[in-house]
Amino acid sequence: MKLNAELKDRLAAEYVLGTLRGPARERVRRLLPREIAAWEQRFAPMAQSVAPVAPAARVWRAVERRITPRPRFAFWRTIGLMASGAVAALIAVAVLLPPQRAAIPASYIAVLSDPKTNHPVLIATAERRDALLRVKVLDPAIEVPGRSLQLWALPRQGAPRSLGLLSGEMKLIAAADQTLADVPALAVSLEPPGGSPTGQPSGPVLYSGPCVKYW
Amino acid sequence: MAPPAQTLDELLARSAQGDRAAFARLYQASAAKLYGVALRILRREDWAEEVLQECYVSIWRHAAEYRPAMAAPMTWMTSIVRNRCLDWLRRPNPEPLAGDALESIEDENPGPLAALEASRDGAALARCLGALESRQRQAIAAAFLHGLTHAELARELREPLGTVKTWVRRGLARLRSCLEAQR
Repeated sequence: MKLNAELKDRLAAEYVLGTLRGPARERVRRLLPREIAAWEQRFAPMAQSVAPVAPAARVWRAVERRITPRPRFAFWRTIGLMASGAVAALIAVAVLLPPQRAAIPASYIAVLSDPKTNHPVLIATAERRDALLRVKVLDPAIEVPGRSLQLWALPRQGAPRSLGLLSGEMKLIAAADQTLADVPALAVSLEPPGGSPTGQPSGPVLYSGPCVKYW
Repeated sequence: MAPPAQTLDELLARSAQGDRAAFARLYQASAAKLYGVALRILRREDWAEEVLQECYVSIWRHAAEYRPAMAAPMTWMTSIVRNRCLDWLRRPNPEPLAGDALESIEDENPGPLAALEASRDGAALARCLGALESRQRQAIAAAFLHGLTHAELARELREPLGTVKTWVRRGLARLRSCLEAQR
């Protein structure tokens, strides 16, 4: 999109004013950050002139709940407790997911939820003979600037096994049938940049959910 | 332990490092202002509360992306709230505007300009808004403060869509040149 300066300025102004709507809004946000910042500054006093209204205390309580990490000890034992909601979400997602790329549906599907809201935040799928885990993030806000998100397999027996830092396509060390067969749940922990230094989750577990083999 | 942060910049910087106490103070210092902005646009407490909650979670997660050189902290946070409100209104099947929209638009003429006088930048903006034709000013203030689209403005002001779009466009262009002349 090549635009002259005047048109750029007009689009940025209408973006900040709020009259620019539809898909154009998203494009302008991406393409014209400098022009937008200038108009936000021009209109800032008007935004600040709006009379303050104290929000109900429940708003902060809800925010606090959502930003407070869960205790890190033995987190995988609590998964059973919250699995019921997550299983419902898993079934809903499996039914509603549009048919994917190939004709073969994924064999393994995991849906990880935020335990505080029970909302699913990401889906991981793998075909049984592939050493590849595809991760679809449903809530882009899960990224934490300056920190890494690490994905863990929680096997029926033994300690969590790292599957690597969260990304769209994650290489497994072997075919899913070997790596995920005995893994009833996956979890994501918040780690220093680059991942846990210890080989075990070192930060809080933010999301977790059942990993189910469909066929 | 470091002394407590005082300014919004410092509180944001600490929040970016995961300091939840600093973030709580940031909330205390800014929530009423941002809730006022959200309530003005959404006009429903339940919606405004939900948007406010989303926005603070987003501010917590993205605090490290705040660039002091680009905007003051309140401007940055306000734009997050305004964007979320406008996205919210853009949802499929939005409910119709509350019936008092027209009334509150009429209030804008020239009501809230008085509140702008407090700061130097605010005084410049108030002067330049005041120099616009009243209908341009009314359309711009209503769009900004209440999150109205061109079509909603046209309906509320009982004018053709094209006319309202022209008011907005010309008003913004004049506003810009006036503000630049003031600097």
